[in-house]
Amino acid sequence: MSKIRFVTDSTSDIPLEIREKYNIEMVPLKVHFGQKVFLDAITIQSKEFYEKLAVSNVLPTTSQPSPVDFLNVYKKIYEEDPNCTIISIHLSSAMSGTYQSAVLAKSLLDEGVDLHIVDARSASYGIGVLMVEAVKAYENGKNKDEILEIVAKLREDIRIYFLVDTLEYLQKGGRIGKAASVVGSLLNIKPILSIDDEGEITSVDKVRGKKKAINRIVDVLKEDFSMTDVDMIIVHSNDISNAKDFSQLLKEQFQVHNVKLTSLSPVIGTHVGPGTLGIIMRPRSNE
Amino acid sequence: MSKVFINGTDFMNMVLSGANVLHSNVEKINSLNVFPVPDGDTGTNMNMTLTSGIEYIQSKSSDHIGEMAEAFSKGLLMGARGNSGVILSQLFRGFTKSVHELNEINAVQFAAALQQGVDTAYQAVVKPIEGTILTVAKESAKHALFVSHQTDHIIELLEEVINEAKKSLARTPDLLPVLKQAGVVDSGGQGLVFIYQGFIEALKGSFNVDSNVMHHTDYQKITINKPKPAQSNIATEDITHFYDMEFFIHLSKEVHFDESVLRKKLAEIGDSIVLIPDDDFVKVHVHSNSPGDVLNLTIQYGELTRLHIQNMRDQHREIVEETNSIQEDETFNEKDETSITSVEPKTFGMVTVSSGDGISDVFSSIGVDYVLFGGQTMNPSTEDLVKAVESIHAKYIFILPNNSNIILAAQQVKNLIEDKEVIVIPSKTIPQGLSAALALQDMNDVDENEHLMNQAIQDVQSGCVTIAVRDSQMNGISINEGDYIGIQENQIVTASNEIIETSKELLQLMITEENEMLTVFIGEGMAAQHTDILVQFVEESYPDIEIEVIEGGQPIYDYIFSVE
Repeated sequence: MSKIRFVTDSTSDIPLEIREKYNIEMVPLKVHFGQKVFLDAITIQSKEFYEKLAVSNVLPTTSQPSPVDFLNVYKKIYEEDPNCTIISIHLSSAMSGTYQSAVLAKSLLDEGVDLHIVDARSASYGIGVLMVEAVKAYENGKNKDEILEIVAKLREDIRIYFLVDTLEYLQKGGRIGKAASVVGSLLNIKPILSIDDEGEITSVDKVRGKKKAINRIVDVLKEDFSMTDVDMIIVHSNDISNAKDFSQLLKEQFQVHNVKLTSLSPVIGTHVGPGTLGIIMRPRSNE
Repeated sequence: MSKVFINGTDFMNMVLSGANVLHSNVEKINSLNVFPVPDGDTGTNMNMTLTSGIEYIQSKSSDHIGEMAEAFSKGLLMGARGNSGVILSQLFRGFTKSVHELNEINAVQFAAALQQGVDTAYQAVVKPIEGTILTVAKESAKHALFVSHQTDHIIELLEEVINEAKKSLARTPDLLPVLKQAGVVDSGGQGLVFIYQGFIEALKGSFNVDSNVMHHTDYQKITINKPKPAQSNIATEDITHFYDMEFFIHLSKEVHFDESVLRKKLAEIGDSIVLIPDDDFVKVHVHSNSPGDVLNLTIQYGELTRLHIQNMRDQHREIVEETNSIQEDETFNEKDETSITSVEPKTFGMVTVSSGDGISDVFSSIGVDYVLFGGQTMNPSTEDLVKAVESIHAKYIFILPNNSNIILAAQQVKNLIEDKEVIVIPSKTIPQGLSAALALQDMNDVDENEHLMNQAIQDVQSGCVTIAVRDSQMNGISINEGDYIGIQENQIVTASNEIIETSKELLQLMITEENEMLTVFIGEGMAAQHTDILVQFVEESYPDIEIEVIEGGQPIYDYIFSVE
């Protein structure tokens, strides 16, 4: 069986130690504060980013990796492991051109390379969970086709819900997708946001007030995972205490096997803004 | 004088006379109105409903009673307003079903038609309540059936009907405790008795039955009360604005059209204002003494077309012109329909009813397509609702009436709309309407949305604070005129002579540990410091609750509270 190597991008929010542990390559997107460019999760980390965001008078913007950025990573891997297979899983093509850049990079490589670029149709640890699951499957001896099948199946099984303090960031960055109808309301409406099968942001419900919104997410998750043991990842905009409270609330309501808390990367943070809280839940993995 | 048959002309005279008697007693009926909501507008609603019926019947001239009844019934249905108005329209819908093929009817047929009216009305009302107009109609129709086998004379029959209706009316307080508490008879039932009295006056000839003269006098008296806010109701003798203007504004794309703003401005220079927005057009009807000012004001919104300006003192011409403008109105609608069908409809649309600019803006901001002006003081008619529904290009339209007196009128809309499915979510309060509107999700199917919206109504508590208009004793609470009363859902639960006191009491009754959110809608002209005191009180007493304060701008209610 041929060797398989794995690539993701910085928006998968996989912490450095896990990337190192599983030897996952990461291609960074970019954050621009005015003229200044940072490499997401490399030259700018979440903590620093959110502090900067709070005081900056210009709103940051972001850009996708160039095809060459991908090309360099793919070439490096093929130099290390000439006949390997690469599985490269990326941010939703409905939200970013990152996937497109990876596909272009592939077209610049020799024909016949075994490179599979997967549109996660998701963001943050919604990508990360697919990547980590893929690596684990590989370590358990699964072959390429089996791994791709597992990833596709898991994409169907995970649920992502998140809350933003204000929709302003999603709107200004043009990532609001199908939740656009909620903008402009004169009430303090908290849309329960999710990412749909097409990888686009959508609003599954709208409620009044943050507390109700959190309770609504719990209710929605209960409908999704009534009797199942689950794993979950709480993602946040560098607000660990809120994330812990949320995690505690969920632990009281679900049979939670495995919990991770992780900060949203600067690129994601640019588009959701401060005060964002999200949950990625999946049926318990069989590790 | 004896009469054995009544034909189309007789019927028209009867309903004109009935409308006339009712019109003269509008205030009396309003003053009786305590059920289902003590809002004092039953008389106004019945009057407006009849006005619409009269308009339709006057566009016809026939001795065929079936044809005349059909026109009248159609008009009532279009103009139906408030519970009593809707029930009235159903009584005559049934009546019409019974006579529609007949040239003239005798006593037996008349009695049978009354009975069929009762049957139809009972079927149309979701939860018929005894001790209301329904009971009066039912008992008098039953008596009519009995008497019709003993006499051929319709006047005699009608006299019996009225006697029985009066007796039945007198019994309404025994059937409906709320009437007894207030020491009144049912207002809608009283309205029906007045209509029957008008019938008999017409047949006895004590009402002027020269149809031409009647066209003028009666028509003018009644149409003066065309749809407009009840507070601006004026009596016939007070008419000072005698130029009757009717035209369309073809709305300019560059100018933002706000119905309530135009309505306010027109009210400064005229009365009897009717605005019917319809996609690109607004139909305007107004009586004014300065037609030039009206035109200068409205031309700011776009091109004016089909202008009709009449001097109402010239009565003969008025009728001719009115008939013309009705015909033109119909062509206008046809044209309009063809112009919308070219674009794919969206899936869901919403229509709601609210008074208060702030609340209306909130509804618009959360995706409601059409906010009709109205509520407690002014119930929109079925026709207003139909217009609103027609103006929205969507497959399914949800109507949120936000008032128990508008629910029935909203339900009538279903029968009048063919190309869209109309679903009424029976919201009885503004908070219920808002919660229901928020529950609509575009990605859900229609049944799921209907379910969620109905659920949302259950999950919110509504309260309001208003001033008592008379002394009374309700649910063991003594209320003096001028007191601030706190109403939870539709029950008066507290009263005092101090607004803060009443508001605090009401909030304490409403808020429990499970609640997370309080929304305060501030009424028109409320002092800010009251609200500050209340917000501080809630923050201290219920630290876990989130509070949102909105300038609702609603009349009548100093505060509306939504607790969820």
